[in-house]
Amino acid sequence: MYQRKGIVMRKHAPAQRWTAACLAALAVLLAACANQGDDVKNLIPEREREERVVNLFSPMEKTDPDAENIARTASDLTVAMAEDALGINVAYKTYTAENYQDKTYDEVALDRARSNMDDLYLLNPDTILTLGAEGKLMDLSGLDSAKNLREIIWTANTVDGKLVAIPQEVVAYGLFVNKDLFDQYGLALPETPEEFLECCRVFKENGIETPVGANRWWLETFVFAQAYADLYNGGNTEAEIAALNSGAARYSDYMRPGFEFLQTLIDCGYIDAEKAAVSEAIEAEGPDFLAGKTPIVMAYWGAANTETAYGKTDFEMQVIGFPSSRGQMPVMPMTGLAVGANAEHAEDAAKTLDVMVSDEALQLYAETNRVISPSRNVSVDCVPALRPLNDRIEEGVYVLGSNAGMKVEQWGNTCLIVRELLNGATVDACMASFDRLQDAALG
Amino acid sequence: MKGKQNSRNKPKGFSLLFSIVLFFCILGTVVYTVSRKITREMSSAAIQNLSESLDLIQYTIEAILRNEAEFLTLTAQEVAKADDPEEYILACERNQTMSKLSLILSGESVGLSNTGEVFTEENLDFSAGGTINGLPISQSYLNYMGTWSYTVKCPVMRNDQEIGTLYAEYIYDAIDRSLPAGFYNKQATLYIMDAESQRFVLKPKGMGQRSAGHLNLADFYRANNIQDPDIQAEVAACLETGRDILFYHDIREVRALNYMWSVNDGTIFLAGYVPVEAIQQEGETVKQNIFFVVISMLAAFFLSIVLYYLSWRQQDKLRREREAERKLHSQQLAEALRAAQIASESKTTFLSNMSHDIRTPMNAVLGFTTLLAKDAGNPAKVREYTKKITASGQHLLSLINDILDVSKIESGKVVLNLERFALNDVISSVDAIIQPMAKAKGQTFHLEATGIRHEYLVGDETRINQILINLLSNAVKYTPEGGHIWFRLIGLKQRSSQYEHIRIEVEDDGYGMTPEYLETIFDAFTRAENSTTNKVQGTGLGMAITKSIVELMGGTIEVFSEINRGSLFRVELELRTLEEPADLQFWRERGISRLLALDADPESRENIRELMADTGVQVDTAVTVEEAADLLRAGGYHLVVVDWEAYGLPAVTALRGTLPEGAVLLLLSEFDADGVEEALVDGRTGVLTKPFFVSALRQEIEEMHAEPGSAQSAEPEESGSLQGLRFLAAEDNAINAEILEELLELEGASCEVMENGRLAVERFRRAEAGEFDAILMDVQMPVMNGHEAARAIRSMERADAGRIPIIAMTANAFAEDEKAALDAGMNAHVAKPLDMELLKKVIKQCIRGRE
Repeated sequence: MYQRKGIVMRKHAPAQRWTAACLAALAVLLAACANQGDDVKNLIPEREREERVVNLFSPMEKTDPDAENIARTASDLTVAMAEDALGINVAYKTYTAENYQDKTYDEVALDRARSNMDDLYLLNPDTILTLGAEGKLMDLSGLDSAKNLREIIWTANTVDGKLVAIPQEVVAYGLFVNKDLFDQYGLALPETPEEFLECCRVFKENGIETPVGANRWWLETFVFAQAYADLYNGGNTEAEIAALNSGAARYSDYMRPGFEFLQTLIDCGYIDAEKAAVSEAIEAEGPDFLAGKTPIVMAYWGAANTETAYGKTDFEMQVIGFPSSRGQMPVMPMTGLAVGANAEHAEDAAKTLDVMVSDEALQLYAETNRVISPSRNVSVDCVPALRPLNDRIEEGVYVLGSNAGMKVEQWGNTCLIVRELLNGATVDACMASFDRLQDAALG
Repeated sequence: MKGKQNSRNKPKGFSLLFSIVLFFCILGTVVYTVSRKITREMSSAAIQNLSESLDLIQYTIEAILRNEAEFLTLTAQEVAKADDPEEYILACERNQTMSKLSLILSGESVGLSNTGEVFTEENLDFSAGGTINGLPISQSYLNYMGTWSYTVKCPVMRNDQEIGTLYAEYIYDAIDRSLPAGFYNKQATLYIMDAESQRFVLKPKGMGQRSAGHLNLADFYRANNIQDPDIQAEVAACLETGRDILFYHDIREVRALNYMWSVNDGTIFLAGYVPVEAIQQEGETVKQNIFFVVISMLAAFFLSIVLYYLSWRQQDKLRREREAERKLHSQQLAEALRAAQIASESKTTFLSNMSHDIRTPMNAVLGFTTLLAKDAGNPAKVREYTKKITASGQHLLSLINDILDVSKIESGKVVLNLERFALNDVISSVDAIIQPMAKAKGQTFHLEATGIRHEYLVGDETRINQILINLLSNAVKYTPEGGHIWFRLIGLKQRSSQYEHIRIEVEDDGYGMTPEYLETIFDAFTRAENSTTNKVQGTGLGMAITKSIVELMGGTIEVFSEINRGSLFRVELELRTLEEPADLQFWRERGISRLLALDADPESRENIRELMADTGVQVDTAVTVEEAADLLRAGGYHLVVVDWEAYGLPAVTALRGTLPEGAVLLLLSEFDADGVEEALVDGRTGVLTKPFFVSALRQEIEEMHAEPGSAQSAEPEESGSLQGLRFLAAEDNAINAEILEELLELEGASCEVMENGRLAVERFRRAEAGEFDAILMDVQMPVMNGHEAARAIRSMERADAGRIPIIAMTANAFAEDEKAALDAGMNAHVAKPLDMELLKKVIKQCIRGRE
């Protein structure tokens, strides 16, 4: 009897366990539902502390949904790094000119910096010098990351003893040439202005109507290469700059050969001056260059890495220096990030910049963008197309497109005077403009 | 029937499938409808939601603009009141909202700004006709601060006369301060667009993507791939008329609501987009939940189906297994029943046969005993009757033996008694039994042995004899008179060097068997039944016994037969071989080193050569008498073997002349060959029965080398009587006791019979030494059985206890019974019913052994 009872109990045991398990599960579910009750009366979640914001004013090209801009991506990565590190929100303020009639980015940047509209600015060399001279930019020499900068960066960005801007890349301008076309017509890559003209002649004779694609911004690079090849590479740089600053030497004397060279290009039809005067960078000449119709354009280093520019070509592209008496000459103006001296969030902006130009951030930037880093501690390989330009820079052969040590601002002024040439002014008139500028600067 | 079932199953399966499909269709339709409804409602809710958000921003901006206009109106009133309006303007400081305040007095084209600069209206464009609170508002432009701004102008009225126009420049950044820091969790993109120039003049903080197209409407279209001309036309129309527009367009593959939202009667627009999922976060959750519920339901449904299917499959499998098992059981039961019926029938038939077979001799015994009683006075008749009674008794005994043998084999109680034996002995004994039987029926019996490598083998000689005698006696039985019987012993290729592979063939040209009978020939209780064989008496158990024994020995048996053509039985056995190292010694001792064989049959010659290979005796062969004579003349031969049937007496006579001194001539002949006696007149001649075997040769040589006298003396002893011997017998059966006493008495011996073992033991204990010559011991007895009694006697402490011959005399007639008797200490075993000749022989051997 007992045994039988035992058997019956054992037979029912699994069913009882199942029932118990189901009841337990139900109980847990009910308890979980019961806990959904709201204990807190105020349904608004506690607001986060007010966000720290740093306004960054930067140019931005027109948007192309089909192209990735790795230069911008690289910059964004360092911004994100700073945001993460500091808990700061970097708000972008941008301006892009719709056309040549609009105010330029530099003009707007000047206005905004003077009116303390933003905290952090990405500035072109002329603007750096102008605002630096006006005392509108903070001295960045105290930043930790400033200690890692190459000497050339300090030289190019120091105004009145203050380091007013720090770049994320050393911008080098060069000639972007369609090597296939040069090979097709049996042309060697030009070293000197004469060789360059000869190449243009051959191209022109072979039906290429405008051998040099130009815009209203970057033709000055030809001028700088010829003007300062000797100044920066002749071993007497400081004395020559001192002479210019004292008025003993004239900028017009340096600039004249370059302007005459440009004049020749215009006269021979190697450059479409009218078109160039109203063209934005890359927009006008880019498509023809990419289509293989124009063998030569000028652009900055990063354009060789950027799909929106010349990062992807169907032909062999090479980037070489501008023709000069000392051979191919890279031209290096110094763009840079600056902090408004009277900016609303100046302190946070300086901290942000410190992160953005730290070795870590610059390493990331350089790796993403394949550029020359301003930090002496960071170096990466460049793309093959840039090797000729890179080799010259590594040799120490280049001219600066801007120099804060010169009392007359170079990059912006020269650009404007080249535009005068494009608009029909004579070389002499252009030289007169330089003389006026020099006289004004020397007071 | 099966077809019908299948046809019923098919519609059932189809309807189940149809039901499932229908269920999914309904479920799909419901889910789709619900989903569509939710999507529609969510879309409507999203549009409503976004519209409200944009309305809020619109009203905020319009409120700012109105305030600015009102502020300007108030300022204009203040300016009107001022004595020197220009001085008043210069005194005004710019603030965060108003970046510049300027005044142009009526009648003048140039005025003054609070920044101290000269002010003209020429850089301002009021042509679009936009107003705030009735005050004209200019097109947007970049001001001296590098930021987008607009100017509102207001007439300065003094005494209802316009004394000038007041211009206030406001920057869009001021509006940004009044807007939320992003909406829709900062996923919404928002720009403020100047309607006239279509420039994007403000991107409020926290709103929008860097890649959203920041420059103007064209850039926005390009960046967001809004290339549909219809949409662009619609947007253009809305911009023209100052209407709002909302439209769906995927932005970077994300469904988004795009908008152009008119502010201040269309002087500026809010432009941008919001990903739908940012608006419908809860909707997305609902969708996900519905999806989850549907998936869960489907999963549960499929799981149920799978479980049901698995369960069904398992049950089906079990059902099929049960069915198969049931079928198998039924089959087995049917087979068992059939087997039982067959067995029963066989046994019934067998019993009927046995009844008949037993009753027949029994009838003869009883009938003749009746006749015997009646004709007791007529010695001739008495002898005739007793002879017939004996024959009937013998037959009865063989019947009983066979029955017992079968039942023993069938119950697995047979144990093989493996011992060394000589193949020659087997053949000789078989030959001795079969030859007379065959001769009696006028049949010719041929005995051949070929390819045998080993003569001495290990096996159960008795059982092998039984096999051979069964097969051969059957051959004799089922072969008519004048027929032929062949007995072949063939050595096959050895599978292992330790085993002799032998094939035994028994062939006859007798009645043969039907194919039906061949199928059951080896079954017990069967017997060929036909008009011919009915004449043959037998138990029908012989072949079953034979097969069982062959299989017990690990061998095989086959039978081939054709009716009226004869039969062939083929048995194959593998028997362990024995090394005979002493063999060399035997020949060497007798100085025999060369043998000459004169044989016409090459197989036979080869056989002799092979068998003699291990003896160390050199064998030469000759085919003709002359050849043999030449060889003999060359000398050196000690033995000459001559095939009697092939060469006969002339050859013997011829060879005898050349026979070397001491050499022996042996005639290889069939059993009971004619004329051989004539050839034996010379003392140096002997006879070997075919086939040739070394053991037979050895035996013959031994006999020929033995003392001539000793052979003589053995003969009379064989046929001697038991005269004067005194026996003690233990026998519980009074009749058997009486028979024994009478038989012994007939032999001149006396016998004292005890009723059981104990009495026998007691009697022996009391007996004087030498009082009894032997003890005849029954085994199964009451009080004390024969084995116990024998042990008791052997254990007595008297001199003759160990020596006195004890002979088991029992109806337990099997080999194991004999072994048990010997184990109990008895000297020999004689089976009942008593064969007096055998008993005498055994008694003599025992007594001689004791002596």
